[in-house]
Amino acid sequence: MIVRRVNPWFERFWAVAGAVSIRTKILGIVLGLVLLLGLGVVIQVRAALTRAMEVQLEEQSVSAASDLAARSTDLILVNDAYRLYQLLLETKANNANVRYVFILDSEARVLGHTFGEGFPIGLAEANQVGPNEHHHTLVLNTDEGPIWDTAIPIFGGRAGTARVGMTEAVVELALAAVTGQLLLTTALVSAVGIGAAVLLTWILTRPILNLARAAHAVGRGDLSHRVRRWADDEIGTLAEAFNAMTDALARAAEVQREREALRARFVSSVITAQEEERKRVARELHDSTSQSLTTLLVGLRALGDSWGSGDGQRHLDELRSVVGNTLDEVHNLALNLRPSVLDDLGLPAALERYAAECLKRYGLRVDLAIHGLDGQRLPAPVETALYRMVQEALTNVARHAQARVASVLLERHSESLRAIVEDDGHGFDATAVGLRDHRLGLYGIRERAELLGGKLTIESERGRGTTLFVEIPIPRSETQDE
Amino acid sequence: MRNQIFILRFSILLALLSACAPSSAGPLIRLSDLQPIEVPTSEVAPLRLAVAAVISAQGTAETYQPLLDYLSAKLGRPVELVQRRTYAEINQLIEDGEVDVAFVCTSAYVAGNDEFGMRLLAAPQVKGATVYYSYLIVPSGSPAQGMADLRGGVFAFTDPMSTTGRMYPTYLVQQLGSSPERFFARTFFTYSHDEAIRAVASGLADGAAVDSLVYDSVVSRDPALGQKLRVIHQSPPFGIPPVVVGPEVRPQLAAQVAEALMGMSEDPQGRAALEAMQIEAFVPIADSAYDSVRALLTEVGDLQP
Repeated sequence: MIVRRVNPWFERFWAVAGAVSIRTKILGIVLGLVLLLGLGVVIQVRAALTRAMEVQLEEQSVSAASDLAARSTDLILVNDAYRLYQLLLETKANNANVRYVFILDSEARVLGHTFGEGFPIGLAEANQVGPNEHHHTLVLNTDEGPIWDTAIPIFGGRAGTARVGMTEAVVELALAAVTGQLLLTTALVSAVGIGAAVLLTWILTRPILNLARAAHAVGRGDLSHRVRRWADDEIGTLAEAFNAMTDALARAAEVQREREALRARFVSSVITAQEEERKRVARELHDSTSQSLTTLLVGLRALGDSWGSGDGQRHLDELRSVVGNTLDEVHNLALNLRPSVLDDLGLPAALERYAAECLKRYGLRVDLAIHGLDGQRLPAPVETALYRMVQEALTNVARHAQARVASVLLERHSESLRAIVEDDGHGFDATAVGLRDHRLGLYGIRERAELLGGKLTIESERGRGTTLFVEIPIPRSETQDE
Repeated sequence: MRNQIFILRFSILLALLSACAPSSAGPLIRLSDLQPIEVPTSEVAPLRLAVAAVISAQGTAETYQPLLDYLSAKLGRPVELVQRRTYAEINQLIEDGEVDVAFVCTSAYVAGNDEFGMRLLAAPQVKGATVYYSYLIVPSGSPAQGMADLRGGVFAFTDPMSTTGRMYPTYLVQQLGSSPERFFARTFFTYSHDEAIRAVASGLADGAAVDSLVYDSVVSRDPALGQKLRVIHQSPPFGIPPVVVGPEVRPQLAAQVAEALMGMSEDPQGRAALEAMQIEAFVPIADSAYDSVRALLTEVGDLQP
């Protein structure tokens, strides 16, 4: 039941306390403590002071009345009214807290008083003392507030009763003064507390904000950011842990980078080896196999010329046709493996050759446009990669896109080279199809682009054709004049 | 948690409450609303009996209370004790008829008798006689053997009109060819004999002359005080301080009071009252008993009061 009662309170408290900043929280704690302490001290001091002063007031009242009783005895017995009156005035004048002094005779008639003209009704009867009592003190309820009234019998009551009334006004004044001072002190301490809280907040939040900034930086990938350990406290420990974490992340990133580089080198060397192998095989096919086949073809023709009749002739023609086709195939094979024109004449020429090849082989018309590469050779790996990428892209178009026309645009910019391959085929859903899973060709293109520090972007929609953007950075110095 | 809140609230409440205690009680008294004091008039006029300040006012009030009670019983009316600081004031009250009966000093009687016809009513009898003396007293450590040795000292007089306390010591100084003003370094009045005795005992005065009756009474009540004092001179006997009435007092009242006083020794309450005053009886006395005092006053002459 208590939990149920407390929960809404706690939630309300948390709604406030959780929403404010640490500065406000610390200020709240400091101010709350100071104010609570101030309030408690004011209440306690007021209570203690009131008790002490009331005891003092009662003692003063008894003391003044005793003194008055002792000094008035003879004056009453010898009926010295004038001196008695003087004594009353003197008693009142000697004590600031005395509100009134009066003497009753043994018949309870007023012998003398300090009220001037007249006497308050009911005051004489308000406090009575027996002849054997030392004194009797009462707090009277008057229109001027509580009055500590002490009655003391004079000469065993035979000469009457001395009465002294003490006002609490001085107590109130002292209480007000002390309360004022305490409140002022509380205010001053609060001010100091606010200053301390602001300083404390700064000390506390500065490392936290630093940590937050560092966390943002690390989040952005800046693993070089470190936080300063301001103090030897929990936040210092956190900062240390944060730095340790950033170190570990940096090391992990370094390892990752090294692995990436290793993989890139590996892939690059694989590709290079592949290209070299292709080049070697292509050259072999061209230089050796093609020569042999050509020799064979020449031999077969010579044989037909000298031995040319009947079935034999027809048989030779068939063989010659087979050899011619094989020679073409070997030629094509060599061309596909490694167009020697790429090495000999450069990328534009190789691409033009390949465009012609596409039309011839697939019936795909390729519009080729090349800007900014006039008379310049790119680094060999870049030329090879670009050639392979465009080749792969066009092969894809020919095989899958059912396109009639494809266009290839090659643009040399100051720091990069952009290749755009566009077709009017049926396209595909680029967002739905994972490259890695289904489009191995595209994956190869991306791999090559990334090896050169570039990137591949694909735009495609069903029925709207496909566009591939490849952008590769090329520092100007790496271009070679032919 | 709820309990803690409750305890907290309760303790704050206690602290606040304790600041207000004790609460004032009773009806509201308006200190600013001043009304004339009603003076109640008593139906029965009391017999007003004055006692001259032979001893201190409080001592007088205690000593004479049994007598007042006795007289009140005998006369069937309340008896009120009237005291004044000096003998002269009492004489004035007697002359003005403000008091009916008075115990006065001898010289006050002589003066009152001469000035306005103060009448003798009775006299106390002590040790079978109606005389008393003036004792010259000094602190017990004092080397003084007589008035001559007190020259240049501080001297305490009792009342300006006192026979034993002022007239006789002044007479002694005059016999030494001086006056108190020149003889003593300083003099002061105590206005009662017991206080003159205490002034000497405490060393406030180097000497004083006091009523022998008072001295004997004080020393018998407080022997320790007697240890501090020494009587170095005793005067010739003087007529004892009498009980007197004013000239206007009705003879019948005077006779009633005289009869009550004379009959005290026959009455148990009266005897107790006599014992309190340390006297044996009240007896009639003639004016001639005070001739020696008259002679002394004549000898000393008029003094500054």
